[in-house]
Amino acid sequence: MTKTPQEKIDLYKQHKNEYAAPGKPVLVEIKPAVYLAISGQGAPGGDQFTASIGALYGAAFTIKMTRKFAGRQDYGICKLEGQWWSDSGPDLSKAPKDQWRWNLLIRTPRFVTGEDLRKAVDVLLKRGKGEEVKQVRLETLAEGTCVQMLHVGPYDQECVTIARMKEFAENNQLEFHGRHHEVYLSDPRRVPPERLKTILRCPVRRNAG
Amino acid sequence: MKPATLNDYKRRLLRVLVHIQEHLDESLALEELAELACFSPFHFHRIFKGMVGESVKEHVRRLRLERAAGRLKLGAESIVCLALDAGYESHEAFTRSFRSIFGVSPSGFRSSERRARVAAAPSGLHFANGRRVKDFKTIHPGGNNMEVKIVRRAPLRVAFMRHIGPYSAVGKTWDRFLPVLGKEGLLGGDTQFIGICHDDPEVTPPGRVRYDACVSVDESFSPTGEIGVQVIAGGEYAMTTHVGPYRKLGQTYACLLGQWLPRSGRQLSSRPCFEVYLNDPQGTEPKDLLTDIYAPLAAQSRISAR
Repeated sequence: MTKTPQEKIDLYKQHKNEYAAPGKPVLVEIKPAVYLAISGQGAPGGDQFTASIGALYGAAFTIKMTRKFAGRQDYGICKLEGQWWSDSGPDLSKAPKDQWRWNLLIRTPRFVTGEDLRKAVDVLLKRGKGEEVKQVRLETLAEGTCVQMLHVGPYDQECVTIARMKEFAENNQLEFHGRHHEVYLSDPRRVPPERLKTILRCPVRRNAG
Repeated sequence: MKPATLNDYKRRLLRVLVHIQEHLDESLALEELAELACFSPFHFHRIFKGMVGESVKEHVRRLRLERAAGRLKLGAESIVCLALDAGYESHEAFTRSFRSIFGVSPSGFRSSERRARVAAAPSGLHFANGRRVKDFKTIHPGGNNMEVKIVRRAPLRVAFMRHIGPYSAVGKTWDRFLPVLGKEGLLGGDTQFIGICHDDPEVTPPGRVRYDACVSVDESFSPTGEIGVQVIAGGEYAMTTHVGPYRKLGQTYACLLGQWLPRSGRQLSSRPCFEVYLNDPQGTEPKDLLTDIYAPLAAQSRISAR
């Protein structure tokens, strides 16, 4: 079935199985996906982090609305996602927060081009929306096979869920391999910490040992 | 001046309820009723609905039907006459309404010994037939445990596009408005998306509801074409968060203005309420939508020390 240009694209509906969020660990197959991305280092909620989120959304809104104004294919802006790691290893709880590294992501349809992004950045810079927007880039992630599970609760309790995911991987002769990735389903400004819903994802490979 | 109490609010509404009972044959315009109660016409209807448990229109309609029921039993007037007296243009519409309230048709009611069921009246008020109404019940549909914060807001400069038409169609105005701003780089992570409803969608005919779709902007934006600029006044607001579909916003407004407000010791200023949309309705399930409702409070007069 061909889509009419007026019909809006919903990436979550198109890739429903990639956003599976069960209460126990499962294996999912993540196809290569395009994101608007911005990376940095420091505690979540810190100045750089907040400015980067603003820049990422600024780019996402501007690209989408510029396309929409021109009558090009419309789409919904996806939720915020993020990859987290530190130079001292994948276990973030062992690193001080100011050494946490992150890559913030908003999934974007493939038809969004580098040219769309460049124009949006120019417009935002002209508006004086902050230099961070120059750091926003288009990135393709090919995560492949991943363990995935829904985490309900505060972000600082994720280690409990991650431990379950790790155990599940080991029981299936798999090991974590690649960056921890999460999808923020809830708005932390409004949802109390104990009800926050976050999809946790970790790429895995066959256990070498 | 003392802060306004629940009794003050009840007394003011009672004036309206008495007036309605005594003038059932008149048009009972909302502006007039609001003035009787000294409420701003912006807020009167929501306060009424929240306190009495039915809209003015529903209340008046029910009283007229209750009066008609009494006359059906006791008088010999034709049903068509009674229908006209009750404000209906046709026998059929009258019969439909009558049956929905009393569970029996007007002619069935007249010809049989059957008693009609008592019409549901959340306020406990029925057609008083000349007796003077002295009190009414204020309902509590969750109004008491509603979470309301009093917040102080700074003045906010917004770009806006005016929508005139059904509230349910404001999405179309947003669809035209946002791309114009977005392509200029005016939407970012901290942008606030706000709706100001200058009319109550439950009262004003759908074709005439005025609504401003607003987006916070800084000084760099100047009005252009259909897009104007206004400043949402700063000051104190009562704020509550509505969780769920936009079509149910009216219930939360009625709760805030009709249940919380009369018990708060505060009064509203005459500016319109507004709503701040916290999520993107296109990527969010209607049941998960969050909307902050702000009701502007009048400055509190200093309680004089005696």
